Amino acid sequence: MSSESLKKRKTKVLRSEGGTPEMKRGRGDGDQQDVQVYSEEMELDGRDPEQDYLQYKESCENLVTLMNEIQELKASGAKDGCAEIEQRRMQSCIHFMNLKKLNRLAHMRLKRGRDQTHEAKQKVDVLHLQLQNLLYEVMHLQKEISKCLEFKSKHEEIDLVSEEEFYQGAPSEISRPMLTKNDPHQLTLARLDWELEQRKRLAEKYKESLATKEKIQKSIEVKKEHLRSLQPGLNNIMQASLPVQEYLSMPFEQTQKQTEIARHLPPPLYVLFVQANAYGQACDKNLNVSIIGDVDEAKALSKPPEDSQDDESDSDAEEEQEKTKRRRPTTGGQLDDKRREMLKRHPLSLCLDLKCKDSSILNLYFYYLMNLNIMTVKSKVSTSTDLNTAISAGELLKSETLLSCLYTNDQGRETPNPANRYQFDKVGIVSFADYVEELGHPYMWVQDLGGLHFPTDVSECVRVGSSLSASHMETTMKLLRGRVQSRLALHKQFASLEHSIIPVSSECQHLFPAKIITRLARWTTITYQEYTDLSYTQHVTSAGLAKETDLYFMGVVERGTARLQAAVVLSPRYPEISPLFSLSLSWKGERSGRTDDNLRAMESEVNVFKNELQGPRPGHQLLTNQFARLCVCLDVYLETEGHDDSVEGPREFPREKMCLRTVRGPNRLKPFKYNHPQGFFSHR
Amino acid sequence: MGPVELLHMSVFSQSFSPCGRFLAAGNNYGEIALFSLSAALSPDSTVLSQKPVLTFTAHEGPIFSLLSTDCHLLSAGNGEISAWSWTELIKKNVKPLWTKRPNYKSSLEIPEINSMVINAKDNSLVVGGGDNNIHILDLEHGVFKSVLQGHSDYIHCVSVREREAEILSGGEDGAVRIWDSRTGQSVHCIEVYKYESCARPQYGKWISCVTTDSDWMLCGGGPSMSLWHLRSLSPTSIFPLTGCQRQATFYQDMILAVGEGPFVSHCLLGGEVKAEIPCTPQSLNTMQLNTNSTEHRVLTVGGSSNHIDVFTNLSYRAFSLSF
Repeated sequence: MSSESLKKRKTKVLRSEGGTPEMKRGRGDGDQQDVQVYSEEMELDGRDPEQDYLQYKESCENLVTLMNEIQELKASGAKDGCAEIEQRRMQSCIHFMNLKKLNRLAHMRLKRGRDQTHEAKQKVDVLHLQLQNLLYEVMHLQKEISKCLEFKSKHEEIDLVSEEEFYQGAPSEISRPMLTKNDPHQLTLARLDWELEQRKRLAEKYKESLATKEKIQKSIEVKKEHLRSLQPGLNNIMQASLPVQEYLSMPFEQTQKQTEIARHLPPPLYVLFVQANAYGQACDKNLNVSIIGDVDEAKALSKPPEDSQDDESDSDAEEEQEKTKRRRPTTGGQLDDKRREMLKRHPLSLCLDLKCKDSSILNLYFYYLMNLNIMTVKSKVSTSTDLNTAISAGELLKSETLLSCLYTNDQGRETPNPANRYQFDKVGIVSFADYVEELGHPYMWVQDLGGLHFPTDVSECVRVGSSLSASHMETTMKLLRGRVQSRLALHKQFASLEHSIIPVSSECQHLFPAKIITRLARWTTITYQEYTDLSYTQHVTSAGLAKETDLYFMGVVERGTARLQAAVVLSPRYPEISPLFSLSLSWKGERSGRTDDNLRAMESEVNVFKNELQGPRPGHQLLTNQFARLCVCLDVYLETEGHDDSVEGPREFPREKMCLRTVRGPNRLKPFKYNHPQGFFSHR
Repeated sequence: MGPVELLHMSVFSQSFSPCGRFLAAGNNYGEIALFSLSAALSPDSTVLSQKPVLTFTAHEGPIFSLLSTDCHLLSAGNGEISAWSWTELIKKNVKPLWTKRPNYKSSLEIPEINSMVINAKDNSLVVGGGDNNIHILDLEHGVFKSVLQGHSDYIHCVSVREREAEILSGGEDGAVRIWDSRTGQSVHCIEVYKYESCARPQYGKWISCVTTDSDWMLCGGGPSMSLWHLRSLSPTSIFPLTGCQRQATFYQDMILAVGEGPFVSHCLLGGEVKAEIPCTPQSLNTMQLNTNSTEHRVLTVGGSSNHIDVFTNLSYRAFSLSF
């Protein structure tokens, strides 16, 4: 179809091309058409294009002149159709015919040129293809050649003995020196033969060695069996020797076992274990250290320590991501789990038993919080006697308060590790104080004993690890023992105070006159809130001497109608920090240490001049002695009070105490100081 | 000094240095503290400048009286008087120039010295204290030249009437005695508690403050504080102040008084209480006006606290110095 249409179009073109000349020829030449066409083609070969161009120019010029002449004629008034004009029109027609012919010729010349170019192009294409094929063949051949050149024989990898050694070592039937000396190929073959021979020999040797090894192993096995059969016998001997060990008080085995377990302790507990053991052996026979807890779990924990660490951080990161992904849903359960994970204790813990002189024992349980890297302690006091008699003493031996403020301001409520703050923020723990009940208190001294050091703003010499622990061990143990003893002493004192008896030991008798009329009426605990609400304790509170960690008590002493209330702040570090009394007297109206100078003097008598009242060291009787002095002071206060002469009747409190002067100084103080042995009262 | 000791501290006496730039204060522990007023009053003062520049233990017992002469600070402790050079103290050299003890009759207890005053006329020091007697120390020769006997109980306060060469003393026995300083004789004895308008039996009869100005005397204590006309020896106005007054002074046309209660009372001569200005200590022992220097013209009061309140203006407390 397409070719057909192409043909049609070609014919059409031919026809349209030749249309006008055919018609003209038809008109002009009639039957000589075929010859004319042929002659024109032929004529084309014979004509010079250059000349055609000149001819074309000439006819154009002639045309122009003819036109001009016609116009001139017309302008001069010649009529249309006159002969001159007609003749010129004829001439111009001839010129037109000439132009047409020239045009035709030009077209034919163009077509021929195109055909010739096309032919030449096709020829070039064929040649190019041939060239391509040849090039490809060359390349292939080159590749083959290089492949051949690169061929490697297997023997090149084999490490052969050097040529000299070969000629020396190999027998002549293999080396064949005649043949090989000159031919490297034969030489290589011979050397390979020799190599094979040698290898065969070595393989033989290897087999033999294996056999001997087998034999030796068998004999070792037999010997091991023999040794194993010895074990039960030895165990029996060990068992039998235990009573002897105990008898000689040399607990080898026990310590050995403990050290075995101690290997699984986390580093801080291990430091504490070693240091406490060392201290116990060196200085303090009443210190006993033991490890409690699940050893297997600890083993499992300690085996892949780095892995678990990584997991930790990974999971943390994941948690973070999760958090950022979806903030809202199921926070409660997840956070709880995370918190629990964060506050996890190491499965092993240390138990320190500190025996005091009066056979009471302080049990300290040290724990290590793995993820927070801090240590905590819980405590328990066990005594030989029953102590449940005093109600007000309940606070004294409680785990929360027993060890509070062992060192100044060490309340053990907040974590000492500053890094924990960020960990807490992540899981939404507001304060570590909410967890101390369950986990124990992270006192600073506990960290020190475990060799953990957290830098604070106060610059100090930095020691870590064992040396830190060792430097704190002795003082801490002494403090602990002192603390327990003071608490037990207080306990006893409280028991008698509750029964309105002020015990005064014989060593302290000289501090007080023989006759004290004022009696203790009541002794109760009060809360911090109740204490701060009292009007006559404001100065103590505002001076910052009443802290929440302190214990608060209310003592009431009475004589006749006079009733003296004493609000007492008892520091956990008693007796190192003495109890602080604030007084309020209700007798003829209310007065307190704030408004009455004499009551203020009584306060300072018990608070400031406490050193006289300490009794035998370490001053456990301070509190009761303070109370005894308070009673004496109240006696003096009441007996020396000015008697209003206008009131009838006898004095309520007759003067019994011997006083040099009843008042002194500008603020008219009463003589509160008792002088032994003369037995009179004087002023400070 | 621990916090408990600070809590139970009382300030008993004060004295300004002759230059008026320093204040010495004595407390119940026998310590004297020197405060720099110029530092505390400067515009760029800090908490630190309200602390003493020097604190030293001067005596064993409480220091009930401090007094400044032209160049010395006199301090009275338990039965002894010490003199300190102001110039040395300012240089922080703590060494008494001398220490003197009045001739006491032997006693189990050393009597305290409650009050001292300079009698400029014959350059002597009038000392009243626990042995019921007034001792007069000749400052020129450094000897106790006479003893005025008459009170039946210890002496709270002494005062000098320079023009008349008279010494006034008030004591625990409730009497104000007027002595002739030349003869050493008791000229008058006013037993204030016997005047019904002044008596307050619920408190007692002692007189703890006496001060004079020309013909007028101000005294208070157990009885109400009262203004007396000395020529007629009669009370002219009684001040309705609660509590016992420990120190009173004339100031311009007013009377300032301190005592029990946490305030400085401003009274008019007529007998009305004009104002009671609150201050820090619960009861006040001492009050001093600094007249030695115009630029540091302040009123300071001390009492049962370790704070000394400073008034730059009489009508309100500016700040507190503290031990």
